[in-house]
Order: sequence, then C-alpha cells, then structure tokens
Amino acid sequence: MKKSKDVSPDPASYSRDFLLDLYRRLVLIREFEERVKFLFLEGAMPGTIHQCQGQEATATGVCAALNPDDFITSTFRGHGHALAKGLTVQEMLDELFGASTGCCKGKGGSMHMGNMEKGMIPAIAIVGGGIPLTAGMALAFKMKKTSQVAACFFGDGAVAEGAFHEGVNMASIWNLPALFVCENNLYGASTHIGKVMKNTKVSDRAESYGFRGETVDGNDVLAVFEAAKKAVAECRAGKGPVLLELLTYRRTGHSRRDPCHYQPKDEREAWFSRDPIDRCAETLLTREDISRDDLEAIKSAVDAEITDAIEVAKQAPQPTEADLLTDVFA
Amino acid sequence: MLHELKMPDLATTGGAVKILRWIAQPGASVSRGENVLEVETDKAAMEVESTAAGILKEIIVQEGESVDAGTVIAVIQSGGEGGDSADTKKAAKDPVQEPKAKAGPPPVAPAKSTKGLFARNRAAAAAKAEPSGHDGSARPAAASPMPVKPAFAAPGNLHSVSIARKTAARRLQQSKQTIPHFYLQTSANAEPMMARRSAALPDKLAWDAFFVKAIHSAIARFELMACRWEDDQLIPQGTDTIGVAADIHGDLFVVPVESPGEKNIEDISRDIRARVAAMRGGDPLARVMKPGVMTVTNLGVCNVETFTAIINPPESAILAVGKIRPVVIAVSETAFAIQHRVNLTLSIDHRVANGKYAADFLGAIVEEIENL
Repeated sequence: MKKSKDVSPDPASYSRDFLLDLYRRLVLIREFEERVKFLFLEGAMPGTIHQCQGQEATATGVCAALNPDDFITSTFRGHGHALAKGLTVQEMLDELFGASTGCCKGKGGSMHMGNMEKGMIPAIAIVGGGIPLTAGMALAFKMKKTSQVAACFFGDGAVAEGAFHEGVNMASIWNLPALFVCENNLYGASTHIGKVMKNTKVSDRAESYGFRGETVDGNDVLAVFEAAKKAVAECRAGKGPVLLELLTYRRTGHSRRDPCHYQPKDEREAWFSRDPIDRCAETLLTREDISRDDLEAIKSAVDAEITDAIEVAKQAPQPTEADLLTDVFA
Repeated sequence: MLHELKMPDLATTGGAVKILRWIAQPGASVSRGENVLEVETDKAAMEVESTAAGILKEIIVQEGESVDAGTVIAVIQSGGEGGDSADTKKAAKDPVQEPKAKAGPPPVAPAKSTKGLFARNRAAAAAKAEPSGHDGSARPAAASPMPVKPAFAAPGNLHSVSIARKTAARRLQQSKQTIPHFYLQTSANAEPMMARRSAALPDKLAWDAFFVKAIHSAIARFELMACRWEDDQLIPQGTDTIGVAADIHGDLFVVPVESPGEKNIEDISRDIRARVAAMRGGDPLARVMKPGVMTVTNLGVCNVETFTAIINPPESAILAVGKIRPVVIAVSETAFAIQHRVNLTLSIDHRVANGKYAADFLGAIVEEIENL
C-alpha cells in the first residue's frame, strides 16, 4: 500500500462546526450509498449503480475547499461528489427514482447527477470525459476573469485515456484554474493499477506537463481538505492547474453487478482498517468539545433525513409524455 | 413481520439469475447486508446480501433454479413473532409465496416468461420456479424435495442455459469450424496403470492423472505439440498446464493441472479430485479456467470404448480416453493372451503437426503409459 508522506493535520486548528460538518458529509455519503444499495437489491430502484463506499473523504475534503460557485465534474461513481457539493438527498433520490422532481428531472439517473446552480455539471459516465470539459470550464473562468475554479474528479483508470493528456496539457499551457483530482482506488473496474501502469504514482505525471502534482492519503479527510485548499488557492492565483492524487479504496464492486472477487482479502482488510469515517471520528474525538454522542446524533439525523427522503421519492411524480420533448436539442 | 427477499437485478443483459448455493439455511438468523446466497448471472458468480434482518423462514427458490429479477426467493421473519399478522396473510395469498416445491409436480407447460425488471412479473417468476437443466440433481439435499421434472419440456418452454454452457458452446463451435482436426487412434496396455493404481491405497488414483503425466512427459519430446497456430505462426503456449475435462452438474469444465512435471501421480490425482470437489461445491474461484497445452477427456467410466474429441482452443490437441477392458491379443503367430487395454484417440490441429509427427507423439504417450 502506498503511503503519503504527510502527517494528518491537527484537528485543534479548525472550528468545531467545520469538523462536525465534514463528519456529517462523510456519514451522509456512506448512509446514502448503503440505503441506495438496499433499494437496488430490493428491486425498488431500477438500473445498475456505481457506489463509493470507502471513498467518502475524497469528495468531502475537496468540495469543502471549494466555493459554492466553483464547479466540479464527476464520473459514473458520482453520488459522493454530488452530496459533497451540496446537492440534497431529496433531489438525488428523486433522480434515482426517475421522478420529474429529480436534479435532472429524472432523465439523468445515477450516472448523471448534477445541478448547475450548485456548481456541479451533470456527471459524465465516459471514463476521462470530464477532463477536457474541466479545461474548457477553467478557460471560460479565466477569460471571464472570474475567480472560479473547476475541479475534476476522475479515477486511476481515466489516466490512461487520451482525454487525460489533451485536457491536462491544455490546462497546463494556459495556466488554467483547474484542479484535477485523481481518486486512485487501485482498480480500473477490475484491473489492478499495477497491470496497466509502470509508474503507479499518478501525481508524477503532472511534472511531465509542467505543473505541480501531489499524492495525498485520500482516506484522511483533513489531509485531503488541506491539499485541496492549497491547490485551489494556487488556481485562484493563476498558478494552476494542480493534480491531486488521492489514495483511497472502494469497499464495493465496480458496480452492483460486480462481485469484486479480484480484490485480495488481505488488501481489503488493510484498507478497511483505514476507513475514512472511522479515522475522522477518531480524530474528532481527540477534541474535548466533541463527544461520541455528538457523532451518534449526526448519524441519527442523517438516517432520519434519508428515511424521510426515500418515502417522499417513492411518491414523487414521474415524467409525463409531454416531458419527452423537453430538454432535447433535436 | 414477514419480509420477502427478492432476486436483485444482477444480470447485465436482463437474463435470469441462477441460484448456485444458499449460504444461509432455513431457521438461520441473518443480518441486513449479510451474504445469504450465491448466484450465477450471465457474467459472474456472486454473493447476494440479505435486505432484512431476522430469521430465514423459508427458501422458496432452490439451488440450481434460475429466476428473473424481482422474483421472491425467500421469506425472512423480522422483528419478533410473525404468527397471524396481516403480512403473513398477504404473503400466503401471493402465488409465489406458495411453497411450490413441496406441492408436487410443477405446471407442465408454464407460460414463457417475459422479462420484467421487477416484481411485477410474479406469474412468470412462478412459472420459472421449476428446476432448470440437469444441475439440480447433484446438489446437496435441499430443504424440500425437488419436484419431478417432466422428461420432455413442452414446446416454447426454454431450458435455462448456464454461462458455462454458453462459453463451452461458443468455443467448441469456434474450434470445430476453424481448426482442421485430424484423428489418430491406437491402444495401450493398461496393466501397468492398473497395478500402480491398486497399489496406491487407501485412495485409488484418478485415471486421468496417469494420462496427464504421460502427456506432459511426451510433450517434452515433441515441442510442436506445445504450440498453437496463429497468424501463420507457431506460437509456444507458454505454460505446461494440462487440462482434464470434467462434468460439473451437467456443464463442461476443464480442470487445470499446473506444472504436472513437478508432481507425482498421487499429487496430480489429489489435485484433480480437490478441484472437481471445489467446483461441484460452487466455489467460483475454482471455476476460473486456466490456459493449458492439451486436454484429456475420459469417457471410460461411461463404458465408451472409443471416441473422438473436439480440441479445446487455443490448444492444438486433445486425447480421448476410452474404457479399460480385457481384450484378446496375439502374442505370437500361434499364441494369444488376454490383456487389459485402453483405446486412445488423439485429435490434432493439422496446421500445427503433420501425420507422422503426431503419430510419433501418440506413440510417445503410449510408451509413457506402458512404462510407468
């Protein structure tokens, strides 16, 4: 297992509210994914789903460093990114149930979560597809002289796509305010990174394009936040782009239909012992003003919020025939 | 309260999902998220989690059967006493909830199911609750007796087809249509094998172990046999794994014996038996195929004396082994004797080897068998 050199930031240097909010988002993402998993298994929800249990800290840490008007792009594994960027549980569950009240009016589904007003373009399921788009958005921000940043989430598999080279290179030559966030979870679908890359340290690639790259413990939400904060500041100062490689691990199959037999047992156990939520809880509990009861209360509140939202989503209005002809170009 | 456990939508092409094994048995306490059964989809074997916590009250769809997504496969009793609650009554009304398997023969001509995403398709699911293929028979005894299967399926009532069968069908067709096979037939004195086998008590050796060993030794002297024909070139296979064809609940699998040169016949025999047992037990990892140089297929146990086999691509030859039986042989111009012999048929890819080369190779196999 690769280890990043950084030591975990000191929790004493943050406000209590900020830390509890980070924890709440981690728990929200995990619980959301777990509940969606059971809705899928029960047959209440159609389609397949790509889930991010185990990777909650990447989305949470990065989005905590972004402003509401900064934009992100996401992937087929996008539920965590959406929740971290501020989409509501309700608009996402409605979307998953195909309801017209969903964030994409029920037309996007699991793989296309997004809300332009909240700074998330609907997620792009094509591997690496968000990378050139991020360069484009960042170019627009630069040309319009706004101080916005475009952050792009992608997996280790996307690094081998031609789109990675094109998008990253363009962002580099024009010093665009683009934050490239590689969630390296060791597997491109079922293929281990070691089978497709000689140098498996993805952040090294930034140097060859002439900009800064950094590898961070992606299961340490504060470490991710600090790295993202620094990178975002560089982007806003015109010193972008930055490539952040966040080392993490997915606890589930690539999709609900993937039995995940390719993850060796000892590797799974090693990563499970570094679970981002458990680690965040441990860190928070070192503060005197945060107790186990505070964390339990957050869990209960999240649980109630999702339970209520599921009931609402099940009754939410489905699109009508007339909706077939809206939101289409031709 | 009774909770219906439904087959999740796990097949990538929307096909039926087959239950390989129930991990949890009726009466067992299960938690939400616990793996309770193993299934085979069109793409993979995988575990399925329980969607409720409680006692597994009843298994409705048995091992070996295939059902569409949304079909109720088991009932879980959660939260204390179930008894005569409204849920129980509701469950009893549901046609799928009827313990069909216990009720005697299934409908002879169930309607062909139309694939529904979810539980809307109860009727179709009920019709499919009949065991599929031949796979059910060799399974460990289920909680309830299997219904008697009609000998001939009614027209329009499709047999479910396993992934293994689809894969084998595709590869065999490819082999027979693209590899120019030719066949050489001979026989070998089986008495040295028989002597060695009875000496190896308490467990008698698997016959296939002798042939795996003999082929491996013979290939060392005939290196073309370890090559495949591809793009006008002879490409070395790069492995010394020898396969053994095995019937696993009606499906054809090839059991890989890796590096047989480093093992004795006893080890090879144990390897083969252990792997077959793991496959029959539903271990998905044991079913993963490994590329080999050659395969042995043996129908001797089924009283077949001689047969010809189809090459298992990308291999270039396969040895078909018949029944060992006593035959009368002439030992001189004027005398005869009775000897146990076995008929061997070698199928060869003619692009890889010509007649004389293959004949010498077959001769080498015979030599190995007769000189243990």
